[in-house]
Formats: sequence, C-alpha cells, structure tokens
Amino acid sequence: MTVIESQTPSRTNSPLPRAVITLVLIAVGFFLPRLLGGTSVAYSTLTTIAIFAVMCYGVDIVLSYLGEVSLGHTLFWAIGGYTAANLSVKYGLDGWTTALATIAFCLAAALFLGAVTLRTREFVFSLVTYAAAVVAYEVAFNWDAIGGSDGIVGIAALKLPLGVATFSGASQEDLWPVAFALLLLTLAFIARFRRSRLGTTALMVQMNPALAASLGVDPRKVRLAVFVISAPITGLAGWLYAYQRAYVGPDMFESYFLVMMLTAVVLIGRRILVGPLIGTALLIAQQNLLSLGGDWNKIILGSVLAIVLIFWPTGLAGLFRRFSKSKF
Amino acid sequence: MNRTIALAVGLLASLATPVMAQDIKVGTIFPLSGGAGPDGQTVTNAVKLMVGQINEKGGLLGRKLVVISKDDERTPAVGVSRANEMIAEKADVVIEGWNSPVTLAMQPILARAGIMDMTAVSKSELILGGETNPYAVRINSSNGFDAEVIAKYVVDTLKAKTVAFLTQNDVYGNGFQTAVEAEFKKLNFAGKVVLTEKFAFKDTDFRVQLTNLKAANPDAIIVTNSSNSSGLPAMVEQYRQADLKSTFVGAVGIMLTTVFKVAGDANNGIVSADIFFPDLAPFTSIPESTAFVAAYKKAYGADPDKSAALGAAAVQVWAHAVETTKSLDRKTVAEAIRGKPVKGTVFGDVEFLPNGQMKPRYVVFKVVDGKNAKLEALP
Repeated sequence: MTVIESQTPSRTNSPLPRAVITLVLIAVGFFLPRLLGGTSVAYSTLTTIAIFAVMCYGVDIVLSYLGEVSLGHTLFWAIGGYTAANLSVKYGLDGWTTALATIAFCLAAALFLGAVTLRTREFVFSLVTYAAAVVAYEVAFNWDAIGGSDGIVGIAALKLPLGVATFSGASQEDLWPVAFALLLLTLAFIARFRRSRLGTTALMVQMNPALAASLGVDPRKVRLAVFVISAPITGLAGWLYAYQRAYVGPDMFESYFLVMMLTAVVLIGRRILVGPLIGTALLIAQQNLLSLGGDWNKIILGSVLAIVLIFWPTGLAGLFRRFSKSKF
Repeated sequence: MNRTIALAVGLLASLATPVMAQDIKVGTIFPLSGGAGPDGQTVTNAVKLMVGQINEKGGLLGRKLVVISKDDERTPAVGVSRANEMIAEKADVVIEGWNSPVTLAMQPILARAGIMDMTAVSKSELILGGETNPYAVRINSSNGFDAEVIAKYVVDTLKAKTVAFLTQNDVYGNGFQTAVEAEFKKLNFAGKVVLTEKFAFKDTDFRVQLTNLKAANPDAIIVTNSSNSSGLPAMVEQYRQADLKSTFVGAVGIMLTTVFKVAGDANNGIVSADIFFPDLAPFTSIPESTAFVAAYKKAYGADPDKSAALGAAAVQVWAHAVETTKSLDRKTVAEAIRGKPVKGTVFGDVEFLPNGQMKPRYVVFKVVDGKNAKLEALP
C-alpha cells in the first residue's frame, strides 16, 4: 500500500498490472491489523495512524502545492471533532449528517480564513493562520455551550445508516474499516488533485509565478481554492477522531497535533503521495513502540523537525534520492 | 478428522490456561514528564509503595501485584494511547488522572474494555456523570463539596459581611464560584458579594484586579487559582505588596508545596482547606495515615502530600474491594466500592457515595509560617 502512486511512470505505463498491484496493496493494507496479530493495540494504533494521516493530508496540500506553512489546520481538525461531538450528543444525528456538517463548517471557515489571508505570504500567512487557531481555541475553551474547558463527553458509537442496514462502530476493530476507507478516499482525492488542473496550476503559481501570470492565471483564486479544499480533509479526520475517542475537548488545538501534522509532511518530503502516511506511521510507531518517555519524545520530535528542515529540506525521500544518485 | 480437531482444540485450550496463578497487574497513568511530571511521579510513587506493602503481606487473592506505570504527558491523545496499551497488557485495574481532560478521554476507552478505572486526582464533575464510565470511582474531592466547606467558613466562622471573588476564568474557577454562591444561599448569607474579578490561568500579573479589590475592601476574598507553580505564588506576593486587609480565603487544594517554596512568608495568614495533611490532626492520630507517612518518608525522603495520599488510598480502596468480593471483575469490584464504607485507608475510615465519589473530610487551616509551610488547623 506504500507504492500506490509511486512516481515511476516508465514502469507502470500498462494500466492492468498497476491496477492489480494497487488492489493487492489495498487488500494487504485492509488486513494489516490482522497480519500484525489482530490485537486491540494493533487495531487502535493503525486506526490512529489512518486518522492522523488524513489529518496531515490537509496540511500537505497547502504545503506541497502552495508552498505555505499553515499553522491553522488544528482549527479544521477541531471543527470536525466539535461538530461530530455536539451534533451527535445534543441532537442524536447520525455519522453521515455530522460528516456533511463538518465539511460545510470547514469550507465556510476556510473560505473566510482564506479570503483574509489572500494577500499574505510565507511568514505572515503562517502567523495569521496560527492566530486564527489561537482565537478559536480561546472561544472553544470559554464557551460552555459547545463544551468549554471540560469538553464534551458521552459521544455515542459512530452510526452510518447504509440503506437497509446500519453500520455501528464503537470499538477500535469496528472503526478500522471506516478509518481505512477514509484514508483510501483521501489518497484517491490527493492523487486526483495532483493531476487536476487546479493541482498543476497551483504548482505553477508556486514555482513560476511569471509563467502563471503570462497564461492569465489569477494566483489569488488558485490559492483560495487550494486552501479551501484542504480544510475538509483535516476536518473529516477530526470528525472520525471524535468517535474513536468518544471525548472532544479544547486539547484538539494543542501543539501535539500541529507538530505531528508538520513533521509527518516534511519528514518524508513534499509532493510524495504516500509521504504523510509513512511520516505519520513512523512518528506514531516511535511514540507507541519505541517511546523514550514524554520529555525525550518531544525532544526527538522537535529535533527531527529541525534537522530535516535544516539539512534535508527535501525530506528523507530527497536524501534517499541523493544517496542513490551518488552511488550509481 | 473431527476427533483430531477436537484434540487440537483441547490441546490449544490447555496451553492457553495458565498453569500458575498470574500476577495481578496494577496500571498507573499519570503525567511523568513536563510541568506536571513531578506531581504525577508523586502519585505513582505512592501507588508503588502501597502495592509493595500489599505484596509483603502476601499479595491479593494469593497472587502477587505488579505495577505498570505509564506517562500521559498531560495530553489527552497520549493518554488514550497509554490506555490502549493497558488493555493490551491486560491490566486488572488502572489508577489514573491528574487533569480532567486526560481522564475524560481515557475513561470510555478503559470502560469499553471492561477495565476497573480508579480516578485519583482529576476533579471535573463530568467524570462521575456516568456517561463515560458507569462504574467510575474517584478519591479526590469535588468542586461541590469544596465550595460547601469554604462557604461555611466565610459565613459561619469568619462571619464576613462583604465578600469578593478573585476567580480563574475557566470551568474550574467559574464552577467553584457558582457553587460557593449557591452555598451562600443555602446558608442564608446575610452579607453581600461586592465584587468579582477574573483572570486567566496563565496570568502572573494581578495588580489591576488587586487594586480594584483593595478599593472595595471586603472582609474576605475567595480565590481560585490552580497555577500552583507560577500564577498563585505571584498572586500571593502581589496581594501582600498591595497591602490588602481582607482575609485571603484560598479554594480547597490550591496551597501546594510549590506555593510555599516560591512565596514563602507572604503566605502567612492565608486561610484554606484540604483533605489530607501529613502533620495535622486528625491525620496524626490515624494509624494507617502515620504508617503511610513514615513509609513514604523512608522510601522517598520527603513528606507525602495530598496527591500521594490520593494515590495510596486508590490502591487501598481497590484492594479492599477485591479482597472482600474475591473478584477482579470490574462491575463486582466497583459495586463493592460505590455507596459503601471502606475502613482503614490513609484518610481513615471513609465512605463512598453511590456515584463513586469518596466523601471528603476537610481540615480548614491558616498558614502561620509560610517559609516552612507550617499550618494551624482551625476549629
């Protein structure tokens, strides 16, 4: 499943084997928790990796295709969590409705934030998006109607009515198919986006603004569009996280998630389809399986982020490419 | 063919049943790193001490106890991972909870897995609401009871005519103020609340609020401030510098060691209340308490504070329930605690309410020598 979209067009020109490989990888991916022993920890760890990876893909689009660092995506992550929690606890709405509401709220918030930051670049863009997340955190922390500083408890199992039957999932085992499906949908969406007109134009605007301008592209429209579509991706991850954890609180704005998003994306390298997924998997595996204790984990996470950014801005993939080139 | 399968299944089953009695696993999840790290380590140490004492007496149900301790990093997302690890390691009980969001995030995970969950410190009212865990048990006191003892002191003992609030602006601070005001009504408080000043948890400069309070000059100022390592000591210092004449009445549980360490003698005269003291009556005459204080001092070289006592009591209460029911089953154990009395804890003989809350007994005290953290119990 790690090579669904490897950028080697010369070898994968024939569509049939490629489709077969993709299907096999999807099947392996789906049964991965079983292959790892089928324990509840295998399920919960992989479900968490899938959810966090989807969370990272929202940031990935903005970083890879706009070249901007959004520090405000915890806002969309929290919108997903709060929407799922509030609508399911207070109004008993099912998973489809809360997901749709999440998408709607994220689009609205991103449209507003995107419009405000339309003229800002780089540092100022990061700062404004961060400020937005800080303001949202204060609102969530102090507004008792949506949970206040204690958050919202008692989120019932995820219910997804499917025509005649209803999917209902509370345990990690039950949620894994949903998380896996959400991850696949996200990967398919990103793969599509990379080849889409918007994706290629966005890259052109970032890499060669003069060319883009000469072709009559309005860079502001492109920026806004990319930012807006990135929001519901992170939002839907937050939506599923609310059901997985059954508790939502202002901690969804915490830097734990923000650092996770940024590190997972830059660790492997930008514009690599499975990059954020592998990055998330590495980070979670380190925290859960090779944990050195809270203080050391944070030091490691921060150092990895700094070292990668300073020495290998192209990520581990770039390092690997440079290494293999010099050898052969 | 069928016989072979049956034989194989039988063989597997016999392999799966343990020949020897396995150890009973006592899990702890507290912050062990970061700002709250020392506090979490204190609770964990107390749990380890108590478990060691039980093992010395032959264990529980004839089995040895082992402690599995984990760090929640004061982050709910991390706490959830640790709770899942406890499930994988098949913990028989998890003693957890320094701050409420982490507890609230872990509760449903542990409850779904059927693991007995003892909350030691986290104070939120939601923890015992029954929505996240219908078999919740908590040792620390709740805001509601805390408010009652503070309101009683202000109205009945101090006989204050005018009262002001200096309140931390969050669920903890605002919730406490609301609860105190409700208690005032119950006590038919004849005086008046003349002023409410608010601040944020992270604040360290309170001079504006203190100037307003000085102008109002109430008989008592009721203070909530849970930032015990920076905000509260700063507040105490500035309170003295501003030379306020009103009695500083601190909410329950805010006067921790760090406050005395940082603000020293500026604490003199502060009135507050709490549920455990290693060196004040009645704890000095409870044998279980004095034994615990001595053992803790011997093991770790310092007096145990309230958090340590909460951790120790969590072990004692759980072990008592396991012993009387001869069971480790969550429902059975929880039902033997909720709504029942438990004798011989470090808090003395205690009683649990039907919702799982340990009924607190308070000591109202006045700080007499802040530098050495000397207190005097008030009647």
